[in-house]
Amino acid sequence: MKMLPVADRATIRGSVAELARDEKGPLGVTLVLHLAAAVVGLAAPWLIGRIIDRVIGGAGAGEVDVLALAIGGCVVVQILLSRTAQNLGNRVAERANARLREDFVARTLRLPVSVVERAGTGDLATRSSVDVATVGNALRQVVPTVLISAIQLVAILAAVFLLHPLLGFVVLAGAPSTIAVARWYLRRAPQAYLAEGDATSRLTETLTATAEGARTVEALRLARQREREGTARITDQWTTRRATLALRSVFFPVVEFSYALPAAAMLLAGGFFLGNGWLSLGAVVSATLYSQQSIEPLDRIIIFLEQAQRGGASLSRVLGIGLVPPEPRGVATAPPGQALVVRGARFSYAGGHDVLHGIDLEVRPGERLAVVGPSGAGKSTLARLLAGIDAPREGVVSLGGVPVTELDPAERRRRIALVTQEHHVFIGTLRDNLAFAAPDATEDDMLAALAAVGAGWYGDLPDGLDTELGDGARQLNPADAQQLALARLVLADPHTLILDEATAALDPTTARRTERSLGAVLEGRTVIAIAHRLYTAHDADRVAVLEHGRISELGSHDELVRAGGAYAALWHSWHGDKA
Amino acid sequence: MPPRLPHSDPGIPDTRGPARYLWWLVRCQWPRALRGSVVATTWMIGLALRPYLIARAIDDGLRTGDWPALLTWVAAILGAGVVLAYLGIMRHRTMTFLREDATARSSQVLLRHVATLGAVLPRRVPGGEIATVCGTDISQTSWALTMVGPGVGAVLAYTTAGFVLNAVDPVLAVVVLLGVPVVALVVGPLLNKLQGVDTRYRAELGVLTTRAGDIVSGLRVLAGVGGRDLFARRYAERSQLLLRQGYRVGDIMSWVQALTVGIPALFLAAVVWLSARMAAEGQITVGELVAVYGYVAVLAMPVWFLLEGGFMTVRGLVSARRIIAVLRLRPDDAGATGTGPAPEGRADLHDPDSGLTVPAGLLLGVAAENPADAIALADRLGRYVPGDVTWGGQPLTGLDLAEVRTRILVAEHDSHLFAGTLRDVLRVHDGVTEAQIGAAIRTASADDVVESLPGGLDAPVEERGRNLSGGQRQRVRLAQHLLAEPEVLILLDPTSAVDSHTEARIADRLHAHRAGRTTVVFATSPLLLDRTDLVAYLREGRVAAVGTHEELLHTEPGYRALVARDAEEPQTDAAAQVGALR
Repeated sequence: MKMLPVADRATIRGSVAELARDEKGPLGVTLVLHLAAAVVGLAAPWLIGRIIDRVIGGAGAGEVDVLALAIGGCVVVQILLSRTAQNLGNRVAERANARLREDFVARTLRLPVSVVERAGTGDLATRSSVDVATVGNALRQVVPTVLISAIQLVAILAAVFLLHPLLGFVVLAGAPSTIAVARWYLRRAPQAYLAEGDATSRLTETLTATAEGARTVEALRLARQREREGTARITDQWTTRRATLALRSVFFPVVEFSYALPAAAMLLAGGFFLGNGWLSLGAVVSATLYSQQSIEPLDRIIIFLEQAQRGGASLSRVLGIGLVPPEPRGVATAPPGQALVVRGARFSYAGGHDVLHGIDLEVRPGERLAVVGPSGAGKSTLARLLAGIDAPREGVVSLGGVPVTELDPAERRRRIALVTQEHHVFIGTLRDNLAFAAPDATEDDMLAALAAVGAGWYGDLPDGLDTELGDGARQLNPADAQQLALARLVLADPHTLILDEATAALDPTTARRTERSLGAVLEGRTVIAIAHRLYTAHDADRVAVLEHGRISELGSHDELVRAGGAYAALWHSWHGDKA
Repeated sequence: MPPRLPHSDPGIPDTRGPARYLWWLVRCQWPRALRGSVVATTWMIGLALRPYLIARAIDDGLRTGDWPALLTWVAAILGAGVVLAYLGIMRHRTMTFLREDATARSSQVLLRHVATLGAVLPRRVPGGEIATVCGTDISQTSWALTMVGPGVGAVLAYTTAGFVLNAVDPVLAVVVLLGVPVVALVVGPLLNKLQGVDTRYRAELGVLTTRAGDIVSGLRVLAGVGGRDLFARRYAERSQLLLRQGYRVGDIMSWVQALTVGIPALFLAAVVWLSARMAAEGQITVGELVAVYGYVAVLAMPVWFLLEGGFMTVRGLVSARRIIAVLRLRPDDAGATGTGPAPEGRADLHDPDSGLTVPAGLLLGVAAENPADAIALADRLGRYVPGDVTWGGQPLTGLDLAEVRTRILVAEHDSHLFAGTLRDVLRVHDGVTEAQIGAAIRTASADDVVESLPGGLDAPVEERGRNLSGGQRQRVRLAQHLLAEPEVLILLDPTSAVDSHTEARIADRLHAHRAGRTTVVFATSPLLLDRTDLVAYLREGRVAAVGTHEELLHTEPGYRALVARDAEEPQTDAAAQVGALR
């Protein structure tokens, strides 16, 4: 299975720069306000230093009162500044978030079908849920916190530098060991936490599956096996959690010990400076308090580094979708003709051997062609070539003389529709579920389409076309959902329909009901039906038997039965005739 | 000391209430819980050590210019750093072990319960509920145990700070000890409000995520029919709603963030003012002034832990309640609790409701007009629902349920395929041999499934067989059900998703595979029914005719209409509507 691409660093940088450019104004104001708040926040330790100097100098209560009041004033200003900055910053983050997720969905919708099918929807589903959420969390919490902490740290360093340039370096006493251990940790943490997350979700999946399949567990008496399986998952989870704990067991103590270093170094340096008369006792106390104050922002940065890293990884997966070239716009103008012709078509899935070995087939406008054959003969592949989803490796598939892959995808879909056993009821109203197939359809058109496919369940809906359907709302059973899909087709009104086992996933009785609804849709269209149920073949104008990637028999049902080949043998046995 | 996980025996949970359940999780590992409390308390009190040592360094060393004293205190600060780092990591490790012990224990009791509960579970609890219990509630219950360590530590540290400040000055002690709860009272309501808007934000975010997932799973449908722009627009509209909700969260969140830093700072300013006056009047030393500043700053830690811990406990109780709800479910015995012995050897099954008799040792086909009747009948025969079915003349409800399950298997059309290698999936019990697997795969005509998977029998099958096609899934299920080798095998539509070629092969081989044992096939496919010993035709839930496929085709027009699709289609509502439209 081919994986979807992941954005490289340059793409991420470009995208981040673009976001920042668009938010230049608000972002600038936010940064300035945060810086101002951080500077005001430095006043308290400095004022305490001043108080100490005054107290030692024998100042009275009055002077102390003024200085203490100044501390309070600074705090109030700091609260107001940082609140405004946080609020502005939050809005920038929310906007960036909205843009990223909307872009992601728009780009996902533009992905060529062949890419989606080859990569599977699992990867896309993870990106749309986990990765978009992780990026969102990073933008809302991690980035602001790291940014504010960095600003505070810079402000603290600057303040100490102002007290005395040399002291500035002393605050950094804890930096080397912290940075060294952080690098060590961050090199190992992502894989370890990824493994932990994997193990946890696998345990959840095992437990949930055991519950969902409870009847099967009882019927096949699998309780012991399920317990064994679950216990193995618990063991895995514990192993991965011990691994991350082992990493933290190195990381945390080194960082926590490093917090003691700046204060210790500052006191020693202070003693030296004081001895030489370069600084007052108050200034040394201020510097010591600053070095204590630097712990908190540093701590926050370190805590969030790991999350920031995870946010980066997710961002590269979210932006990766944009690297897939979108479906090419058509180069040919839409043909007036409706004849679908295949000439010498060969096809192989990436790197594999050929699945189709030179198919020649002419589908006449208005005819019904059934394609039958054993599993793995290449029936679905042929359907995809006919629908223009894949291009043949050799040969050509053309509609009215124009290769189908050169048509504009939207134009192509308006003419040829591929119906598979996959049906999906989208979240939204019944109206939404019909409208996307034909944006111009009126309410009457929709009702007529529903009636045409025999959707009798429409009468039971409480709010008619405005009834909410899909996940979390009213659920349609598979047969009803398939009828809904067919009603869409009636509305979309393509002249050619390709049915790929459209009813195979339904139980036989439901399948028969759906086949009848289908009858209404097929009226007046060219139909190519891939089927394993032979009565479809019986009703068709012509039958093509596909075996091992080649068309082995082609003709009407009666002709093929008379010919006495593979089809005839199958028909007799299926029909219950004793051969 | 790391626990040995998984537990060899997780024990019997106390399900009388959420608090009792939490307490049970603690009680099972009380020595570790006690150790957690001691270490966390020591660590938290130890945090006040640094301000004290800095104060002494200032008072005894810097102010007096006494280098040996300064060096001693600085050394003490470094020493305290080592001790605190050690205590900190010991606290973290002990608490992690405490939580992991609880997580494994909850997982194990849930696993044991869910695995043995059986068919009653999906009927009583919706699927999403179990996913939440397993995915969220287990870990939230474990996080509540944090209260045992830092929670206890916070209370003790807070008390200790009171005593220390009291030694400096009683007024300061009163201000500090009363002041912190006041802060909590001010920030508390704001936090409540924040939680309100944040919950709405998360709900809206959930809607949006579901929408995106919905679009992703419907991509192929959109590709077939078109209409992508509409969905992009819909999503963007919804996303803008979330954006505005995000602004609302930010409005309050920014106050919370500014005030949680600001209010303690204001409070600190007040304390500094009080103690600076005392210093000015000579009541305390300059060093003590710095120490008081440090103590109050450090007190934020236990207060934070208490707030957070209280929140975690409330959440943990809610989660524990949901875990208990699952653990309290009892298996239902489908209307009876019989313990009688089942008939020895072959015996006919008889269902009076439909009039069906399943002759022992034969392959019986059942063609039902209405699929719902087929499912109901199969459920009665397998005693998944109450009924009057007899087996060898004895009521099925009077027999031991475990024995019924062992000897009669109702193989559902969509029975669950669990994740594992293909071999794991097929080995329904430990006694299954490779030769048996080979034979079942042949009968189910699943050789191509094995061949197409990389690694063959060792290839991974995903949950629900997601990496297999519909037809492949169905054949793997059939092989699995054959391998269970029950005396009576009841198959529901076993070949509805495979092509006619394959169906013909399966029909041929099934008879030979099950020779001498009782098999019931519910189906309407002529290929399959033609290969049975006898067919029962079920109309309106009752047996309308019994005979061979060939006989019924000729004698029963209804049967012919049902199974031979070339016959006149019966006029149904849908067909009539289609007809009217033409």
